[in-house]
Amino acid sequence: MPPFLRNLIDRIAPMPRGDSVRVWPWTVRAFHWSLVLAVGVAAVTGFVGGMSALTLHLVAGIAIPVLILLRIGVGLFGGGYARFDSFPPSKHAALEHLEDIRGGRHERHLGHNPLGALMVYAMMAVLLLIVLTGTAALAGMFKQGPFRGFIGFNAGWLIYGLHQPLAWLLVMMVAAHLWGVWFEGTRGHENLVAAMIHGRKAAEPPAPPPPARRAHPLLAAASGIGAVAVATLLVYRASTAPVGGLPPAKLDPAYAEQCGACHTPYSPVLAPAAVWRQLMGDLRHHFGEDASLGDPRLHQRILDYLVANSAEHSDTLLSHRMMQRNPADPMRITATRFWRFMHGGIPARVFARKKVGGRGNCSACHQDARSGRFLPENIHIPD
Amino acid sequence: MELPIRLIATLVLASSVTAGMATAAPNFASDRAAILAHYAAEARKADPGFKGFSAAAGRAFFLAHPAGARPATPSCSYCHTTDPRNPGRTRAGKVILPMAVSRTPSRFTKLSKVRLWFRRNCQSVYRRQCTAVEKGNYITFMASQ
Repeated sequence: MPPFLRNLIDRIAPMPRGDSVRVWPWTVRAFHWSLVLAVGVAAVTGFVGGMSALTLHLVAGIAIPVLILLRIGVGLFGGGYARFDSFPPSKHAALEHLEDIRGGRHERHLGHNPLGALMVYAMMAVLLLIVLTGTAALAGMFKQGPFRGFIGFNAGWLIYGLHQPLAWLLVMMVAAHLWGVWFEGTRGHENLVAAMIHGRKAAEPPAPPPPARRAHPLLAAASGIGAVAVATLLVYRASTAPVGGLPPAKLDPAYAEQCGACHTPYSPVLAPAAVWRQLMGDLRHHFGEDASLGDPRLHQRILDYLVANSAEHSDTLLSHRMMQRNPADPMRITATRFWRFMHGGIPARVFARKKVGGRGNCSACHQDARSGRFLPENIHIPD
Repeated sequence: MELPIRLIATLVLASSVTAGMATAAPNFASDRAAILAHYAAEARKADPGFKGFSAAAGRAFFLAHPAGARPATPSCSYCHTTDPRNPGRTRAGKVILPMAVSRTPSRFTKLSKVRLWFRRNCQSVYRRQCTAVEKGNYITFMASQ
């Protein structure tokens, strides 16, 4: 390592003065900071990133359970302060610790103190719940992810209602954790953050050692990696289940040719059957243009196709929201409350761009507009 | 005896490609001439003194801003741009291939399509159906571009 880098690290995470002991093995430190990164990415993309950040949000959402499973392997079969039985969840010990704090007593803990231990387990549990609710919401709303064959829109939407409150709960837990680190570090005159970076704490004053259990690094790694492999297999198996409630993957060719001559051929999922009937009922006055086909059989074919594949026939967030029309202008997709909500943050000049060609030209930005999916990761706004 | 599989396969492939090209490449020029003849016959029926179509008149018709046009479509050139060799754009943002035959050789080669779009677009811009002379002039102009 070049000396300047070593200097920098020493400055960020100074070693304790005098003799020191190794407390946190590299596995725990790597887990901790990887989790900080993954949760940070998930939080930023989830709270402020909007729809276009969903891909990164999902990457973080995959990384988090993988990290936790690996940590569980280390917790079961690793050694020292990494092992779960060195910090068992105990209400009794936690209350005693609170009593100590209230009484101004300070009993040194080299590993997690009893309150910190509870926080570790609680955070891992809440994180797994957030991942599960997010996966279920993704399945119900977008028909994506491992649960897509099992969870309908209504269930997915309900579960999505838990995803965000759980995320806020986690934010509060992180705040409490940071406060705890600051509080315990201050009253014990220890740099606990530095210890989580280089892994060492001062040898004095003496503290109880971890329970003498032999570490099994190979077993720890094998069980963690094995758990990740099993989970991956389960996810894969689940995602091969048949998926219902999807919009038609391909447009009717006659519809795409005739209607697509003037505008992007809107997927039939974008309106309920009643709207398609009303619209096809007067093509002579079609948004200010004469769009009549002059061929009754062709007209009937297109109408039948639209009605048979209308919003009622899909079970995605989009199809459910497209059922809700603006009573003042029921035929116009861009007049719906959902369209306005989803596009509210896009300035008018973006729609005025030549390559975008106006609000009604869905396929300029939605690469999968024809399939009626409109998935967040398929949005690409041209310059 | 060993069959020359490769040779046979190559011959079959080559002959099918040639045949496919011969049938797939439609004769746009003659199709367009037939459509112009159709409108010429119609024009002669309406006016026995009909002398033939004019590209200059077609150009004027294309560029004109007729009074009473729908506000969204004040002229043909509003969507097709004043140079028909350029691609145009519909109100809904869809790109329209150039009307000029030099740029889009398949233009004015299918009567049902030509009828459909004259019916729609004459109504939008001129608020009436166009005459056979106007249609023939328009096609003649586009064929010259």
